[in-house]
Amino acid sequence: MKKQKYIRVFLVDYGMVFVLMALCILISVLTISDMHPEDPAAARSLARSLVKEVGSDINVLVVARKTSADEAYATALQDELEAGGAHVVAVELGTPATLRTRLEVLGQQDERVDFVATHDFSSKWRVLSSESRQEMASLYPALSKLKIAKPPSYRWPTFLTANNLIGILNQNAPIAIMAIGMTLVIITAGIDLSVGSLMALAAVVTAKSLESYLGGEDASGLSVVFAFLIAMGVCALAGVFAGVIVTAFKVPPFVVTLGLMMVARGMSYILAGGADAVKIEAESIGTLYSSSVLGIPSQIVLMVVLFIVAHIVMNHTAFGRYVYAVGGNETAARLSGVPVVAVLIAVYAICGLAAGLAGVLDASHFGTGRPKAGEFYELQVIAAVVVGGTSLMGGEGKIFGTFIGALILGVIQNGLNMAGVDSYSQMVIYGALILVAVLIDQLKKKVVKPASS
Amino acid sequence: MFKTTWLSLLLAIFVLGCSSEESSVIQDDNNNSVTGVDQVNDDQNSDSADGKIGYSAMSLKNPFFVIISDSLTEAGAAHGFSVVTTDADSDVNKQANQIEDFISQGVDAIVINPTDKEAIGPAIKKANEAGIPVFTCDLQCVAEGIEIAGHIGTDNFQGGELAGNAMVEVLGDEGGEVLVLDFKQANSCVLRVDGFKKVIDAHNESTQTGKITVVSEINGGGDQDIGYKAAADSLKAHPNIRGIFAINDPSALGAWQAVKEADRLDVIQIVGFDGELAGKQAILDGKIYADPIQFPKQMGQGIVEKLVAYQAGESYEKTTLIPTALYKKEDAEKDPELQAAE
Repeated sequence: MKKQKYIRVFLVDYGMVFVLMALCILISVLTISDMHPEDPAAARSLARSLVKEVGSDINVLVVARKTSADEAYATALQDELEAGGAHVVAVELGTPATLRTRLEVLGQQDERVDFVATHDFSSKWRVLSSESRQEMASLYPALSKLKIAKPPSYRWPTFLTANNLIGILNQNAPIAIMAIGMTLVIITAGIDLSVGSLMALAAVVTAKSLESYLGGEDASGLSVVFAFLIAMGVCALAGVFAGVIVTAFKVPPFVVTLGLMMVARGMSYILAGGADAVKIEAESIGTLYSSSVLGIPSQIVLMVVLFIVAHIVMNHTAFGRYVYAVGGNETAARLSGVPVVAVLIAVYAICGLAAGLAGVLDASHFGTGRPKAGEFYELQVIAAVVVGGTSLMGGEGKIFGTFIGALILGVIQNGLNMAGVDSYSQMVIYGALILVAVLIDQLKKKVVKPASS
Repeated sequence: MFKTTWLSLLLAIFVLGCSSEESSVIQDDNNNSVTGVDQVNDDQNSDSADGKIGYSAMSLKNPFFVIISDSLTEAGAAHGFSVVTTDADSDVNKQANQIEDFISQGVDAIVINPTDKEAIGPAIKKANEAGIPVFTCDLQCVAEGIEIAGHIGTDNFQGGELAGNAMVEVLGDEGGEVLVLDFKQANSCVLRVDGFKKVIDAHNESTQTGKITVVSEINGGGDQDIGYKAAADSLKAHPNIRGIFAINDPSALGAWQAVKEADRLDVIQIVGFDGELAGKQAILDGKIYADPIQFPKQMGQGIVEKLVAYQAGESYEKTTLIPTALYKKEDAEKDPELQAAE
């Protein structure tokens, strides 16, 4: 009996993990398509197969784009072909236009080319189409037997590629980071509508402080960090302000943060001087966004670290217990000695700080401070928290659940984008999703309560 | 039960996803499984190439971009490209994400209406680094250090001049005061006003009587609601206004509403811009005097033509600006598009 109860509780608490997994599997199945290998290993195996099949007495032109990944591909192809005894006429890294010029030059020099060895992407360039090749063959005898070789394709879900998965995490990191703060606020039975506007404010403050006080174009890396800290500090202060109004005057958080949302958005526009975006000239502005740790964008690393810290704080510290206690029953918490006012102010400050961090990341991403940044993000952030199983009634919720909630939203958006669904339908699906999550939240109580009492 | 909801939801997506997937035919895969070499056959027709274009539209709420998407899809299909359209919803962050998604899907080309002329730069740079050509359409990107493979848009300055001509024509010998409803956030709209004012200035220099003065240039938001409020306030401040130039149809229609409520329809003439269906209808109904109209259909076709030339390695014009044409009531009466709508 007891075992059954644990399973049930586990399913209720972590059911969303299964939803996420089911989603991933489904989208994987739906996005199965031809994958075209473009890595050096594929290049080497192509070179070996080519030599094995048609012999080493061939003249090969290696073709790829002018990117660092393609350069590695072309080099591997060239090395392996030459090792197999084939003759590499030239390596052409560029665009269809440069390839056409190259072929024409080779044709004029009467340099025989048997094969163009390339990858799928470049093989689709029309300069290599059969029509174009026939045309060239009629002009230049040296190109009359030109064939194209590329690695074979295989079937694999586009969704399940390292690029795409990292992309999903990276794109949703700012929302997930803000959702950490929002989880705390919602556990105390509050809400914070100002996060999207605070995000914009942080981005604009970063841009403005760099432009006006920290040296503009010549701002050093340290100045950029300083600007980030100022921007996050402003947002944390705004959070403190909201927390004070909520606790001192007993104004509902919804109204307080609604006001703050408008004030912060308006201030962002005023600071930006009516411009669409304040350009950040400092060179190191993009470092935060574009740097990576062991190949993983630092934004993702930051997000994961913050989630781990938040998880520990919420489950293993007095502060975490206070937050749950305030949300569960504020009066009981006060009577048992929980510093309710301090906890509430701290929670809104953390939420503001998280929004500030998201704004700083946005500024680093786009190299501008945009007063328009983060419009309607508060809704996405709240959605992530609610889908993650945190109750809007307060007192319960899990940081881990929020992480899963943010991922579910991100995965769905990714799937919808891949399918080319317009933003109208995306809104409908998002809305339906939130309704479903709230329904689950309600049913959860019905399922668990009788069992535990 | 919830899982079934999820499943049906995603099945719907599946159907949508498949329809766009279907047209991408795989190149013939003769003898590759044995040898590990995929040779492209000589008898392969160039039209069967399985290219894929990723299009990130400014906003699919605006019919203008839906037409671009449709024409892109149609023209693309004729050249063997399937087109995936995503809706950036005027949000540069969304658009940047969509471009990143396109890169990881490995599309052959990316087409965007830049949602922000500066901030979309880093995302375009990523596509450049991945070797995927980026084409811009309607709006241009001015960020530095990026490579745009081609651009097609409207000649907005010329369109503004046409609007100016229309205003000079409709105000006739009397001239008078004119209100401009602008939208400075969009460079295209700034050019429209510049072209308009150039013609007005030239007109004023060449004539003694019937001079036209622009008494106010205010933000119409490119939006019916904002345009309405802006026009209503201006009509109170300037009782002698005889003409209104609005930089697009929604704000022109908003202005018409304000003029109607001020009971001055008989003295005030409105010139709009765009030629979207609602605008053309308003011209037919006599609400708007004339529109310089744009040709979004040609934009989709033009982009595909540029892409084909790019892939063939042929030279092509990097930037094409399509001139607008002035559309008046007599054009509306002959317009099959409006007859079909009735």
